[in-house]
Amino acid sequence: MNHTLKLTIQRVEGALIRALGLIERRGFAVTSINAEADAAAQQMELTIEVRSAGRSADVLARQIEKLFDVRAVTLMPAEEPAVALEESMAC
Amino acid sequence: MKGAQLLVRALEQEGVDVVFGYPGGAIMPVYDALLDSPIRHILARHEQGAALSADGYARASGRTGVCIATSGPGATNLVTGIANAYMDSIPVVAITGQVPTPVLGTDAFQEVDIFGITMPIVKHSFMIRRAEDIPRIISEAFYIAAEGRPGPVLVDLPKDVANAETTVPPIFEMKSPVRRRPDPDQVEEACRLIRQAERPVLYVGGGVIMARAVDAFRKYAFASRIPVVATLKGIGAVPTRHADYLGMLGMHGNLAANKAVQASDLLICVGARFDDRATGRLDGFAPTAKVIHMDADPSEIGKLRHADAGLLGDLRYALESMPTDLSIEPWQAWCAERREEHQWRYDAPGEGVYVPDMLRRLTEADKNLTITCDVGQHQMWVAQHCHFQHPQQHLTSAGLGTMGFGIPAGIGALMADPTARVLTVTGDGSIMMNLQELQTIRRYDLPLKILLVDNASLGMVRQWQELFHEERYHEVHLSDNPDFVVVARSFGIEAFRVTRRDQVDGAIRRLLATEGAILAHVCIDPKTNVWPLVPPGQTNDVMLEGISA
Ligand SMILES: Cc1ncc(C[n+]2csc(CCOP(=O)(O)OP(=O)(O)O)c2C)c(N)n1
Repeated sequence: MNHTLKLTIQRVEGALIRALGLIERRGFAVTSINAEADAAAQQMELTIEVRSAGRSADVLARQIEKLFDVRAVTLMPAEEPAVALEESMAC
Repeated sequence: MKGAQLLVRALEQEGVDVVFGYPGGAIMPVYDALLDSPIRHILARHEQGAALSADGYARASGRTGVCIATSGPGATNLVTGIANAYMDSIPVVAITGQVPTPVLGTDAFQEVDIFGITMPIVKHSFMIRRAEDIPRIISEAFYIAAEGRPGPVLVDLPKDVANAETTVPPIFEMKSPVRRRPDPDQVEEACRLIRQAERPVLYVGGGVIMARAVDAFRKYAFASRIPVVATLKGIGAVPTRHADYLGMLGMHGNLAANKAVQASDLLICVGARFDDRATGRLDGFAPTAKVIHMDADPSEIGKLRHADAGLLGDLRYALESMPTDLSIEPWQAWCAERREEHQWRYDAPGEGVYVPDMLRRLTEADKNLTITCDVGQHQMWVAQHCHFQHPQQHLTSAGLGTMGFGIPAGIGALMADPTARVLTVTGDGSIMMNLQELQTIRRYDLPLKILLVDNASLGMVRQWQELFHEERYHEVHLSDNPDFVVVARSFGIEAFRVTRRDQVDGAIRRLLATEGAILAHVCIDPKTNVWPLVPPGQTNDVMLEGISA
């Protein structure tokens, strides 16, 4: 299943890598990522497309939500099918 | 004030009275500042020992443990201890020295990215960049380590920040965790499920202890009379002799516990996480049961098994809302029969020491004994046969299964309560993992009792090679072990050997009566196995049984 995650993270040391590392460690492949900084709020908005063969994206969202640098998480089914599973898992 | 002094002040503010550590270049300013503090520093002889002692201290005291190491190898030596705390949700704050910020990222002497290395095994971590941030970061570190589902927090402190003078007046903010109430709709659904159930089982894990919910759990279990099974970390949530307690479930669990879970129609999971050692093959675990999952961690509910009702928040609130007036007598009677049928037997043939019986009798001789365990067959025997009144009496490395946990954890438990009677049960493989900590025991005159179960092999691995690798034994024979009695004595620790069953009574008396540290070297048959056993990949219905000793 493909999903889109929208994250608002605090711009502090390690926040970005912590969120991305968690996603991969929990068995999801990142198929695309877009980041926009909000300098005034010291925050970053991430739009991340992920896919996994069998893991629950809902649980993933809750695992990300627990990170102390993460301010908000929204989970949506991906709008259009992302790359094929074989391709994404190869990375 | 210097950064390092601010750090020590912040630790004092958190009520820290003991830290476990090992000095070195990058952390020297902190060691300097500690000299002027009432905080007691315990010198481990390896940073892994320091981290595991901090973990043991936290488990025994319910407070956050603190360990300190220098940069580079000092920091990497903490890693196993941090991972151990992470896997078992133990509140630990690990403080590492780091190379000065101007050379960070240049492969400077003793520079490692410990912040990066530990990212997957910490609840959170901080790199301190400015001395004035120290009070806030330490306060956050302690808050995060203990709130909700506890865990380790790493604080990396570059040497120049530790040495920096700051004039900003420190503000020590103390935060205390809020208790969350579970969602009322889910509570209602859980109550409905319990009232409907004919064969409910309480499946209790370490979360009950971490949430300080043991009393609430007992109150509910005793009032509802729902049969209880425990995970390795949940042992002692109800006294192990209680009539409704069926034992540990899972791979080396009691048959009665596994049978009850497999037959149940409602599993009430309280602070446990459907770990594979407990569930066996997950798709065949409690196949006909609905699930109520109570946990402080939102990401645990539904992670491995769908929850029909998820009670997120403080376990005490969840437990006190559940109904107790149930009519499940036939089920209680069925469980009581299984309990009777699968009682442990202690009539093993032979003259050799039967460790399960020795362990059981040790805990009968001293009901307040705290046992810290290493990893292997002896750990499973402790879980199966020892009696505990409280879960804090049983400190074991459950999630990570860290050989070498036992002695450092024993040191931590004695630092938490110097009047406690603490016994470490270890194996001839495990003791060598942190043997150097015998010197820590000597240095601080800690009255740790050590029961070394010597089967001249890596018993648990040997057992698996026997059962699942067609007896193709490889690197499991330790017949070249040193003479452990001589080893202990060379550390200045009293030691004696036990080889026959008729020596066991005397050995128990001597272990318990000796004032200082003492090691009993118990030699057993290398071919002894742990039974029963659910083979890896099987469901908990398949329990192999064999002849012990
Ligand atoms: C640090 C570490 N390395 C390896 C293992 C794998 N392992 C699990 S049990 C075991 C054997 C332990 O031997 P011993 O301490 O003598 O205990 P016994 O099983 O004989 O009671 C090993 C090697 C482990 N759990 N931890």
